[in-house]
Amino acid sequence: MTAALAGVAAYLVLGTLAFLGRGRWLGAAAWLAGAGALAAWAPGFPETALGPGPWPIRLAGDPVALAFWGLALVLHAAVLWEEWGRGGAFHALVTLLVGTTLALVLSRDLFNLYVCLELTSLLSFLLVGYGARPGAIWASLQYLLLTTAGMILYLFGLGLVYGETGTLALSELAGVGPSPALVVGAGLLLSGAAVKGGVFLLGLWLPRAHGRAPHAISALLSGLVVKMGIVALFRISSALGSGPILAGLGVLTGLGGLIYALWEVDIKYFLAFSTASQLGYLLLGFGLGAPLGATLYAVGHGLFKALLFLGAGKALESAGSRRIPDLAGRLGWPVALALGLGIWSISGLPPLAGFVAKGALEADLPAWGRWLLLAIGAGTAASFAKLLPLLQPVGEGRLKGELVLIPALVALSGWGLASFHLTWAATGKAVAAAALGLILYPLLRRARPRLPRLTLDRAVLGLLAGTLGLTLALVWSRLSVP
Amino acid sequence: MAGPVGLATAVGLAGLGFFVLAVRRELIFKLLGLHVASGGVGLFLVATGHRPGGIAPILGLGPGPTVDPLPQALVLTAIVIHFATLALALVYVIYLTERHHSQDAHRLEREEE
Repeated sequence: MTAALAGVAAYLVLGTLAFLGRGRWLGAAAWLAGAGALAAWAPGFPETALGPGPWPIRLAGDPVALAFWGLALVLHAAVLWEEWGRGGAFHALVTLLVGTTLALVLSRDLFNLYVCLELTSLLSFLLVGYGARPGAIWASLQYLLLTTAGMILYLFGLGLVYGETGTLALSELAGVGPSPALVVGAGLLLSGAAVKGGVFLLGLWLPRAHGRAPHAISALLSGLVVKMGIVALFRISSALGSGPILAGLGVLTGLGGLIYALWEVDIKYFLAFSTASQLGYLLLGFGLGAPLGATLYAVGHGLFKALLFLGAGKALESAGSRRIPDLAGRLGWPVALALGLGIWSISGLPPLAGFVAKGALEADLPAWGRWLLLAIGAGTAASFAKLLPLLQPVGEGRLKGELVLIPALVALSGWGLASFHLTWAATGKAVAAAALGLILYPLLRRARPRLPRLTLDRAVLGLLAGTLGLTLALVWSRLSVP
Repeated sequence: MAGPVGLATAVGLAGLGFFVLAVRRELIFKLLGLHVASGGVGLFLVATGHRPGGIAPILGLGPGPTVDPLPQALVLTAIVIHFATLALALVYVIYLTERHHSQDAHRLEREEE
């Protein structure tokens, strides 16, 4: 436990010092400290109360936290390498952001979760707007307005839960029977975390913010930061027993993100919508009692979505356009290969991490969850067929952050294949789903549905309506059953 | 008496804030709405710690019951975070206003795409 705390402290102190100068070197030093801390506290530690008095801070290191530490360190290394030449406060902000995510996954009380969620949000707002690219400030302001509104709801929930139970520790909430104030409070807590997690209807800031951020930051946000909301949802829901609500949110965001991804032509918005749909897998896993499969998928998705964002960023910088049809044949063969690995993996094809993690996730899901996973998998393959023209390589190109991500992806795939027994039937199903997607793609491309644009007004309404719906569903499900 | 009145005021403030956030088109009003709502939630937390006849939870202030100190500590943290967020939001609004000579969310929506 001391090692984990020391790792977080090193990240926060070095990240703060990095504002004074030498940001990238201090970021690299923080990374080393973090990796050392991870090696020291693995494989985990039990829940520990920290600090004097009756209201300590509670921390625990479980496999979920361990996996997210690994993911955070790999992505930080990739961003450091990719953006090594970037000066200013960039690396200071990235280091602090990674440090707060490390703290968040260890947190086991409601207020510590709140502080970490707010810190990751605040640093993300700064990084999305970093460099003031076109549209980025506006995207970041929307992200800020919606997330802050969500966090206000979270605080209301926290007040209700604390007033009812007199404790903030998640482990102590688990045994408390439902009462109206507690259930409404739980609904508000879940809504706030869902806004932060970019879940559909509540967190519609996600496509814009991830689509407009600098490319390496998009990779970090989609790979790691947005999942912090999902981790918070998982922690709260496993204390308060609201798994079905999580699964419901998973269905909503899985299908909603997919429908938008299928017809999106702006490459970064497309990848961002795809992130929303992949969050559906995580929510289904966390909600239906498959947390380890969901965590494995979160790590795998973090790696291959980062590859996709880095490759897409290089293609669109070279083409000077964000439309997918304009981007064909813009990448050198190494980058095209890295992008191809990302597409292969997200389509769930064996033997890469996407396939392994989906297999591990499916094993613990009920039948309807498996069918839903299959449908979203086929849809994902169909939507990523759009990116295939990008893979025609032209000339050479240099890899940077990919050189961290590819070995990590291969190592995770190898580890997963060795530890989970994946049958030939599962392999056949994965290939069939991807093939179905490829066949569906030309048909789907013909249809051009007019999807409602996700404006700020609609996002605010979605947030309020989603909160109301979620809270009412929770009240109905918890209080109607004696 | 102070507890229920505080709670009701807090919920009212938050409702007003979210209403302004949802219906006004000018960015500065949206920020104001958010700020009022964050004030509401601060009041809510303090009001949940209310104890009848309680005094401020300061050591050495005197005998008698005190109000719950934990929500007050939480609110201090939340106020700092809301201050930082609001400051950043104002910087962004100033930037956008100088670029577009407008604060209208609908117009920004069209021009920033």
